[in-house]
Amino acid sequence: MRRADLLIGLGLLVFAALYFRESFHIVRGFASDRLGPAFFPRLLAGALATLAIDLVARAVSGRSDPAPPPPVRAATLAGVIGVTALYVLVLPRVGFLLGTPPLLGAVIWLMGLRDWRGLLGTAVGATLVLYFVFGRFLHVLLPPGLLGGR
Amino acid sequence: MLERFTLGAMIAFQPLSLLMMLVGVAWGIVGGALPGISGSIAMALLLPLTFGMDPTVALMMLAGVYIGAMYGGSITAILISTPGTPGAAATVIDGYELHKRGQSGKALGVSLITGTIGGIASVFILVGLAVPLSKVALAFGPPEYFALGVFGLSLISSFVGRDLVKGAISGLLGLIVATAGTDPFSGTPRFAFGATDLLTGVDIAAGMIGLFAVSEILHQIAEGVDWERIKGKFTTDLPKLWELWKLRMAMIVGIVLGTLEGLLPGGGGAIAAFISYNEAKRWSKTPEEFGHGSLEGVAAPETANNVVTGTAMIPLLTFGIPGSNAAAIMLAAMLLHGLQPGPALFERTPQIVYGLFVGMLIANVMMLVLGFLALRPSIAIVNVRRPLLFAGILALVLVGAYSISNRLFEVWVVLTAGLLGYGMRRYGFNVLAMVLGLVLGFMVEANLRRSLLISLGNPWVFFTRPISAALLAFALLTLLWPIIRRVREDRQARAPQAA
Repeated sequence: MRRADLLIGLGLLVFAALYFRESFHIVRGFASDRLGPAFFPRLLAGALATLAIDLVARAVSGRSDPAPPPPVRAATLAGVIGVTALYVLVLPRVGFLLGTPPLLGAVIWLMGLRDWRGLLGTAVGATLVLYFVFGRFLHVLLPPGLLGGR
Repeated sequence: MLERFTLGAMIAFQPLSLLMMLVGVAWGIVGGALPGISGSIAMALLLPLTFGMDPTVALMMLAGVYIGAMYGGSITAILISTPGTPGAAATVIDGYELHKRGQSGKALGVSLITGTIGGIASVFILVGLAVPLSKVALAFGPPEYFALGVFGLSLISSFVGRDLVKGAISGLLGLIVATAGTDPFSGTPRFAFGATDLLTGVDIAAGMIGLFAVSEILHQIAEGVDWERIKGKFTTDLPKLWELWKLRMAMIVGIVLGTLEGLLPGGGGAIAAFISYNEAKRWSKTPEEFGHGSLEGVAAPETANNVVTGTAMIPLLTFGIPGSNAAAIMLAAMLLHGLQPGPALFERTPQIVYGLFVGMLIANVMMLVLGFLALRPSIAIVNVRRPLLFAGILALVLVGAYSISNRLFEVWVVLTAGLLGYGMRRYGFNVLAMVLGLVLGFMVEANLRRSLLISLGNPWVFFTRPISAALLAFALLTLLWPIIRRVREDRQARAPQAA
């Protein structure tokens, strides 16, 4: 995990610097107290930078845990994240009822199940159950999309 | 106090409350039975359903999920040697041995009845400790709340394990996310980047659903986590009274250690269950049976992890400090309904607090009944193929996130938090520490600034007030203790090498 710790530490250091810089864009309001709205974020940025430096130092000096994290099914994970993100992007246009079954079908397929009856049944069944629980029973305004209305 | 209990009981015994608790307990048993879906994740998944509910009913339902999950976790622990929840890990040792000997029903029955007894005992302990503690908190002003927030953050050091730096970074990330939105003091926009959606800050419920539930789903997908299918038909066989009498010492041990664990942060029942198992073995007349199918070996951890369901609520309800994942979800539910835990909650809205107390008693009784009825459905759901199960859970997460404010912003928050949480878990950071930072950020910052405004900028205000000074001293001790312990452990490890 040494390499990962090094990269994460450097990433956190950059993030702390950007967060600190952004704190200068906060407008001090008329009703502000002496410390102001930027004080606490700057304190946090400083603390984060200090700890990030420690993380980097540990990685460089070999004091980090040398064991690498367990292997992952990267393609499956990326696929599931990708189709989910795509679903959220197109949801307002396509709508909940039409958009959710393809998402669920894709996730099931990406996870390696090729039983089409189970895939279709779950994709359509789960969508309908959630539509009735949230859309009808709890009156959540689920995006109607192409179907219009509710 | 009797009047307050009556007030609470009037809400808890309403048909809708009973129905929602029933749904909560049933969902808890099913969710708890699913390996990887702990009580807190089952609660997080149901959180969006509570938005439109009366706050008391919402809290009772979530408490019901937590209670049900404790029994649910033991189902797979006993039948396939895979604990459904971390709290059921110790139950595997003797529960699975009993299953192999054909005594699955007896093991499930002991788990159910001792869990119910532990759960009911925990409600009495909760009432006995939370009510007087809430009166202490009445003396709190901004310096005390600031010190309490700092103390809450210092607890991170006690549950992150050996890597304190990664734990502290996790907590800081939570505090940083909490600063986005609007300054709590002056109302100035801060880290909103011109996005109106961000002006109200990052929704805590969405953050928790992502950090707890989505990160677990991604973890299971990425690492191909799988579990055995449960074969055969099972029924729950409750122990006879004389059998239960023989388990009394194991239950007492579970109640005492579960209470202590609930008051301390981070364990969520797992540590209490293991310590209770060991102590019950020490106190047992038949310690040689432990590890080979002892009923006491099931009773002690199951009592302990159910006791935690009540006692974990003590620091939350009295001071607003969530010491476990489940308590953090309860806090998110409270904040969503505009409730701030602490003494004001007991004084201004006693019907909510006492309704929760009565509701938890009812939920424990419901668990006893549903433990029989939900066994077969739970087994059926555990046997559903993983891709179908995770797709269903993913859909629930997405629609739940959307329903927080009827907008897609929260869905993005949930997904981002899920990815972040997954990465954090993978690389040794701590998700609960981040959640603690997220929920305590506002409390710490607002009360720091309020205190300094009152004291005209004099920082000694935190040290001249006794409660504030004591809390800061406790915070320092809590922070230093793991470091001292580690130095001692390292020295002890080096000593034999030197010899």
